[in-house]
Amino acid sequence: MESFVVRYRNLLVLLVLLVAQILGLAMQVRRANGGQGDGQGVRLIRLWANGIVSPPERLLHSSGSGISGIWNNYFDLRHVRQQNADLQKTVDRLRLEQAALLEDAKQGERLQALLKFQQKYVYKTVAAQVIGSSGTDQSRVFFIDKGKSDGIDRDMAVITPDGIVGKVRDVFGHTAQVLAINDQSSGAGVIMESTRIRGILRGNSAGRPEIVDVISDQRIKAGDKVLTAGGDQIFPRGLPVGEVEKVVNDPERDGFVYVILKPAAHLDQLEEVLVITATEPRFPPDQQQDIATSEALKGAEAAEQKTSEGMAEKLPGLIEPNLPADQQPLNDTSNPNPVSRPPVAVHPDRFTPGSGTAPAGAATPDNGQAAPGTPPGAAKKKPAPPATDQSNPARAPQGDNQ
Amino acid sequence: MSVLTADARREFEIHRYPVLIYALVPVLAVVLQAWLPRVLGRFAWFDLPLVITVFFALSRRNPIQGSLLGGVLGIFEDALTGHAIGINGIAKTLVGYLAATIGILVNVENHAVRLFLTFVLSLVGSATYFFVVRFLLGMSMDTNWMSELYKALGNSLIALVLFPVLDRTKIRD
Repeated sequence: MESFVVRYRNLLVLLVLLVAQILGLAMQVRRANGGQGDGQGVRLIRLWANGIVSPPERLLHSSGSGISGIWNNYFDLRHVRQQNADLQKTVDRLRLEQAALLEDAKQGERLQALLKFQQKYVYKTVAAQVIGSSGTDQSRVFFIDKGKSDGIDRDMAVITPDGIVGKVRDVFGHTAQVLAINDQSSGAGVIMESTRIRGILRGNSAGRPEIVDVISDQRIKAGDKVLTAGGDQIFPRGLPVGEVEKVVNDPERDGFVYVILKPAAHLDQLEEVLVITATEPRFPPDQQQDIATSEALKGAEAAEQKTSEGMAEKLPGLIEPNLPADQQPLNDTSNPNPVSRPPVAVHPDRFTPGSGTAPAGAATPDNGQAAPGTPPGAAKKKPAPPATDQSNPARAPQGDNQ
Repeated sequence: MSVLTADARREFEIHRYPVLIYALVPVLAVVLQAWLPRVLGRFAWFDLPLVITVFFALSRRNPIQGSLLGGVLGIFEDALTGHAIGINGIAKTLVGYLAATIGILVNVENHAVRLFLTFVLSLVGSATYFFVVRFLLGMSMDTNWMSELYKALGNSLIALVLFPVLDRTKIRD
């Protein structure tokens, strides 16, 4: 017996190691099927692995970020002023749009209150940087540099401004593991924007996000936008998920399809993400402040427009229809800045302004265009009778503008 | 590759390395394996823990040590994924054992032989991983064998550069 053990020692050790790991796998699968999370031992192994790998990863990441930061922040600043100006214009435009949309949102809130449904708004987020991956393309998880100490907890939604990314799977002291939406074990409730078809999003074996268990529907078209449905208690409603790339028939079930998505967030090139740490049934303070600014801006713009219209109404016109021709504002000598008058013709004829013999519409040559040297407006508005201009108002601005 | 007799096998040199190398190189391999795919994206066709397992198993020529090192590195890799722990562990345990066993049987001092062995053992590791996921765990897995082939080639190229560098760190009698 002893010689057997000695002789096959290597093989026996191999078998023991393999059997131990297979048993461990079986126990983990059993726990997972029972709806339980990782066991204490597995959790400990993950903690150790994270403790060993995370510090060097953070160091590598911060070194890389430092170098690229020096370049990006001090050297590569071309076109920044132009970009800043463009962005400012975009912000102004978006503020006005937001104020307009606010009315719809308020109405939605009122309707939701009637239906006793509470919409959750993204109330607080924590920005985090992606510092590492799982190292294998069979597992779509990554690590962020924020953990329990930063208020991160399990099952918090992780997003980017482009769209949703995943959810926090595991939390450690200063790091956290995020399960991306294209992992096979992920899940999120989604809704198609145009057709309102609901489904469950998960990753397929090729790492593409897809909506499963969808009944075949001709209305589902490539390019349709997909949003979060809000029913999974993780992602707030209405966040962009992606757009339909193609629809594939389910080979195992007739009448069902898989909807393959192109994710809105760049899942392969994630640098910075936002972890939603709190949702509330009202807008967060900074957003309320922004809305107030938008409303103020919108109000100011409306007031400005109203004022200018009012002033335009009060300003004396060049032609006052209630006054005779010799008392028109154009002829008002009390005006310190009188409107320049056309030169007096040396040889007046029937086309000369004020001769009283010109036919209607013949005050200016070339069908309403002012003659050279004629001041704007005068060519069309001075000639008598005034009814000529008023009878053809469409022409007057044309001549004035040219 | 030449197969040697039992007497000749005993004459094979068992390489020894400083403790720091034993400790640092595997950790560095796991760290880089987790970090580099972020930089290289889908072109990260390599498995550094596997390369390190093959190197130490071939150099030490001890199947038990090879199996243990492969198992530990594989479990660490699994711990960084969201999957059950042991999938990579089983695959690399087997790779470590096979590499050390081949190291006993065959003269693996030649770079070309080590390159070829790394390539073959990478494919063995991928096949074992697929077997465990598909048949032991019953999970669906879309295996792109071209990608596995590229990964095996990448591992071989890394081994071509890394093995001579690590050879320089061995303790000489």
